[in-house]
Amino acid sequence: MNVGTRKILDRSFTAVGIGSIVVMGIALLIVIVPIVFNGMGSVFFTGTIEHRNMLYNEFGKGNSDVLARENAAAGAYRREIYSMLSKFEAELESMEPEKQQELRAQYGPVRTALQALFGPLPGDPEAVLTRYKYGQTRWDKAQEKLHEFLYEAKWDYSDPNAMAKEYFVSRAAGFEGTSLVKLFPYVEKNLDRLLRPEFTVYWGFLTDSSVDSHIFGGIWPEIQGTFFLAVGAMLFAFPLGVIAAVYFTEYAQDGFFTSMLRSANSTLAGVPSIVFGLFGLAFFINTLKVSESKSVLAGSLTLAIMILPTIIRAAEEAILSVPKTYKEASLSLGSTKWNTIMTVILPAALPGILTGGVISLGRAAGETAPIIFTAAVSVGSAIGLADVFSSPTPALSWNIYNLASEHEAAAEIRHVQYGMVLALVGIVLLLNLSAILLRARISKKLKG
Amino acid sequence: MNFFRKILFSAAVLGLMSGGTAEAAGKIVMDGSTTVGPIAKSFAAYFTKTTGVQVTVSESGSGNGAKSLINKTCDIANMSREMKDKEIAAARAKGVNPVEHIVALDGMAVVVHHPGNRVNALSRAQIRGIYQGKYTNWSEVGGPNAKIVVIQRESNSGTQDSFKELVMGKETPITKNAETQASNGAVKNRVGSTPAAVGFIGLGFVDNAVKALKVDGVEPDEMTVKNGSYPITRPLFMYTNGPATGVVKQFIDLKNTPEGKRMISELGFVNR
Repeated sequence: MNVGTRKILDRSFTAVGIGSIVVMGIALLIVIVPIVFNGMGSVFFTGTIEHRNMLYNEFGKGNSDVLARENAAAGAYRREIYSMLSKFEAELESMEPEKQQELRAQYGPVRTALQALFGPLPGDPEAVLTRYKYGQTRWDKAQEKLHEFLYEAKWDYSDPNAMAKEYFVSRAAGFEGTSLVKLFPYVEKNLDRLLRPEFTVYWGFLTDSSVDSHIFGGIWPEIQGTFFLAVGAMLFAFPLGVIAAVYFTEYAQDGFFTSMLRSANSTLAGVPSIVFGLFGLAFFINTLKVSESKSVLAGSLTLAIMILPTIIRAAEEAILSVPKTYKEASLSLGSTKWNTIMTVILPAALPGILTGGVISLGRAAGETAPIIFTAAVSVGSAIGLADVFSSPTPALSWNIYNLASEHEAAAEIRHVQYGMVLALVGIVLLLNLSAILLRARISKKLKG
Repeated sequence: MNFFRKILFSAAVLGLMSGGTAEAAGKIVMDGSTTVGPIAKSFAAYFTKTTGVQVTVSESGSGNGAKSLINKTCDIANMSREMKDKEIAAARAKGVNPVEHIVALDGMAVVVHHPGNRVNALSRAQIRGIYQGKYTNWSEVGGPNAKIVVIQRESNSGTQDSFKELVMGKETPITKNAETQASNGAVKNRVGSTPAAVGFIGLGFVDNAVKALKVDGVEPDEMTVKNGSYPITRPLFMYTNGPATGVVKQFIDLKNTPEGKRMISELGFVNR
């Protein structure tokens, strides 16, 4: 091969390398940017007065004087709506029955749409569910609801061979000739005065409990649950894993038994996580009965078993990569084997062991399947440390899935789901970062 | 010194985490149906707020609810179907005595894609035909010319069992081509995004994303479910081990209070 071809090959290899890094970067951007952008939307958003009322009533946050003034200002505009409604209702009574029935059928959805925007109307019975006590708390949602209020969505099925088309009919047109027709332009024009949108930074999303199954409030119980589960899993798996790795590298004799153990360990690393979940249910909860019901303890144990193989392998590699001369020097100075392991080999291998731990920690925090049957619930309060042995907990990974698939109002609270995803990604990054820093400090210390 | 500071710091962090939660007077663990889920979650939030008792709710399907009750890992099993004889026998064998409480009624809405489907009503016989695979094209039941995507629930689901009982009858199996989704929400999402799909979900889950069909000419709503004229109506259950006592009894009795009744109807379910 002459120099020319070699150069071309070399350059094209470089180009492919750079190209693949660029592709990876773009892919990462495509994944991360929406997560970050939409996730931030759960903390930074344009909130309405309904949001501030909700915060004040449910969490006691906010200034009551300012809020009272705001409510009075918005109330002045809202009273106008209410008087239009009562005027129209009186008008309805005096109409002939047929016309009345026709208008009533159209009036129902109008009221519903108004309730969605501004909360209960005068004369409504008091709502029990918190979600019906308030109007739209977010300005972007309020605008969607305004559209629903102004227009009725209909479907055009006239072409039998094509998909139906959605089209919108102005609700106002249906009330032509009655007093209610003025309501629609009024609400459209004054929506900002009625709802008083304001840029809101709601850190409570991270520190508050949820209200009415995630419709309002924050995700603290989930964050805390994720933290407990991940740390709990580490508490069990890390010491066990390191001890097992020391056994494999320093004590085990090469033989049938050891190779069996090793391949069992490798197999364990490849088992799907749902299998661990079912095993955890059958073994820890139904057989050992570590707790009465699902619990953080059972979940942590299950996660610990799942991440154990990774930790063992990483620790083994780390211990094997410690130069043999360290060990020989220590032994030649008259140190015992145990002492050598504790004072020479393990400290030198610690950075590598920690790397394995970090990867496993992230995995434990993000796994859903092992905790479905052993620890996770869709609704529950934040639990104290004393409760980890007996109580199940909400956790980010499971609740993201729950909101995506099972929640009855999933479409209304996408921002909560995004917020949870961002929080989970953030927690995993934070855990990784802190472990990387810890590792850097330890390696620096070791170098003296 | 540094070491002590670290210990102090971690103690403070732990204190922060364990604090802030009220000492629970008792706790209630619920497991089971995703259909009963909204009711259970709302009751739980209300109950915790008014009594301070911690309530946790898992939504893993009626079958899992029954299993949890049998294994004594939950206090209340939410189920969208009656407990089967087999399950009751298994419970008895483990010394568990399942007692049923009916919390609400639910109409099972048969839903289709809004724009993709002009069909507004089906008879039960037509639905049965679709699910047993006799009709495979929407044009056979008055719809557009498109292959029907049949969506069912998993075997663990109480909704699935009720559907089989109320629509299919004992003998007719559901076609093997049916696609399985694991929860009411998942069925709704699938139908909402697939023009030729048909599925069935609890009435409380119906929203603008899907179109609920008239069945045998009857629109599913609170009135028709309550008076029984809507043909696919079933009760929703909560099961306890033995007659409910203490806080569990208090919790289950919520369904008879005015607040409980309001919550049920606000969620789109029907009071008994």
